[in-house]
Amino acid sequence: MIRLIRSEILKIRTTNTWWIFALASVLTTGLTLAVNCAQAHYYLNEKLNLPSDLPADQAEQARQQFAAQHQVVTQSVNVFTSGQFFGCLFVALLGILLITNEYYHQTATATFLATPHRSRIVTAKLITGIAYAAVFWLLTTVIDLVTGVIFFRVEGFANHLGDWDVSRAVLLNLMAFAIWAVFGVGFGALIRSQIGATITVTVLYVVGMLAAQIVFAVLHQFIKKDWVLTLQVVVPSTASQIMLSPVKLFPQSPPQWVGAIVLIGYGILAGLIGTLILRKRDVS
Amino acid sequence: MSDGRIVVSGLTKQYKNVRAVDDLSFTVEPGRVTGFLGPNGAGKTTTLRMVLNLVTPTAGTATIGGQRYADLPDPLRTVGAILEASAAHKGRTGRNHLRVICAAAGLPDQRADEVLELVGLTPAAKRKFKGFSLGMRQRLGIAAAMLGDPKVLILDEPANGLDPEGIRWMRGFLRNLASEGRTVLVSSHLLSEMELLADDVVIIAAGRLVRQGPVAEVVGSMSTNARVRVRTPQAELLTKELTQAGATVATGTDGALLVTGVEAPAIGAAALRVSAELHELVTERPDLEHVFLELTQGKATIR
Repeated sequence: MIRLIRSEILKIRTTNTWWIFALASVLTTGLTLAVNCAQAHYYLNEKLNLPSDLPADQAEQARQQFAAQHQVVTQSVNVFTSGQFFGCLFVALLGILLITNEYYHQTATATFLATPHRSRIVTAKLITGIAYAAVFWLLTTVIDLVTGVIFFRVEGFANHLGDWDVSRAVLLNLMAFAIWAVFGVGFGALIRSQIGATITVTVLYVVGMLAAQIVFAVLHQFIKKDWVLTLQVVVPSTASQIMLSPVKLFPQSPPQWVGAIVLIGYGILAGLIGTLILRKRDVS
Repeated sequence: MSDGRIVVSGLTKQYKNVRAVDDLSFTVEPGRVTGFLGPNGAGKTTTLRMVLNLVTPTAGTATIGGQRYADLPDPLRTVGAILEASAAHKGRTGRNHLRVICAAAGLPDQRADEVLELVGLTPAAKRKFKGFSLGMRQRLGIAAAMLGDPKVLILDEPANGLDPEGIRWMRGFLRNLASEGRTVLVSSHLLSEMELLADDVVIIAAGRLVRQGPVAEVVGSMSTNARVRVRTPQAELLTKELTQAGATVATGTDGALLVTGVEAPAIGAAALRVSAELHELVTERPDLEHVFLELTQGKATIR
């Protein structure tokens, strides 16, 4: 198994893919970091101004929302997990390439000749994908930490890095990266076409959450129950956001651990389906 | 490791509407070059891919040295295969392509350089695959097949895209491997090339075995008898004499006589008897191409 992983790592290392993705990841991390810092600067210095004629219960709700959003911890989580949105997308695409490259460049034959046991190959690819996800997470997290620590010092707030809420979010971020890599591998096996798989995953990832919000809002019009909105967690990109957010993403959103379980479930499912497909498929 | 004999037994592949390979059985002996022949679409590639566990057979088995490919403990050290020439990542160098395979097969990296030397690609080792000519791609494929110094070689149309010099190099290379006692199975549709290269042939058509055996035996077994071309100014005179001697004489389009039923010495003697002047006397034996066309005639339909 170790030699298969070595081979898979070599496959990525000997092409341009890895540094293009790493560069893109660094750039998008920088961009989101700038946005998140600006946002944090705004929220942390804002004072609550409630209209005096607001009913007491509404005023209370607004005050709570304001407090949650303006907590230093919330902003700290945001800053220290910057780059997660694009980072997860990039590792998912890398996972896709691990499989679709074999078909696109017709190297599947050589790979399967060297190792006739295909489930071992998929396992090696999954592990390699997770390893690369971890490297990408480390890269974005180091950038986030350095920038974030400086930012909070300049702003004059505590950075809350020692808080469990913040460290947990940073660690869960690692899990999100890993699961999206597994997703990518599974999807690559499912949709063999390189372009097809890449576009499908990108679209699902980027507009998935938005589309889900619309669909579930419409459903909510027919079934006027809160659990309908809670169900949004079944959409992978929504689950990913719920898992990371220390405050509720939307009023009906389930707890963080539900998002985590849904995401892990999808990861296992994608890995299993990918393995089964690859084992059965003829290479010609 | 055992002898490296390839045994195909009752191999069948059924696709939705087509039976690509139909109850095919043959053996390939070590120490010989075996040509695997058949018209386009006869099932050659599908058969080779089933032997190599890339395509799952509907029925039947294929073993190499008594073991299925999937059960070989170190497949690349037993079998080397070339199935398609343009099979490497475009942006990877030739050497890195081989190193990826080395890593997966547990072979040392230096094997990559050794096989590049073997096929004469050392100068292009650091060039990216997209800059390779078709001939260089074929050589890289052979280099990949030789990484594990295998006892058995399986090649699908290895001469495709090679220039005459490359084809000659390939012929010598494969003959040399067979003389070292290795098993060499080569599919091809270049029949004249196969006649020069192969010791044995396996001929299939429409997914079924048509004939198997040593080349000379297969060619000799055909109904087509040797024919002698004779050119003479006294054609009428000689024809009469030969017909009396029991030969069948036809006239070719270029005016030469095509004689069957007697051998060249008898024709020479007959010509001497009637004082006919001979300008040409050539025995034409059927070659592999004739035999192949006769054997596969009417079976090479599009299925």
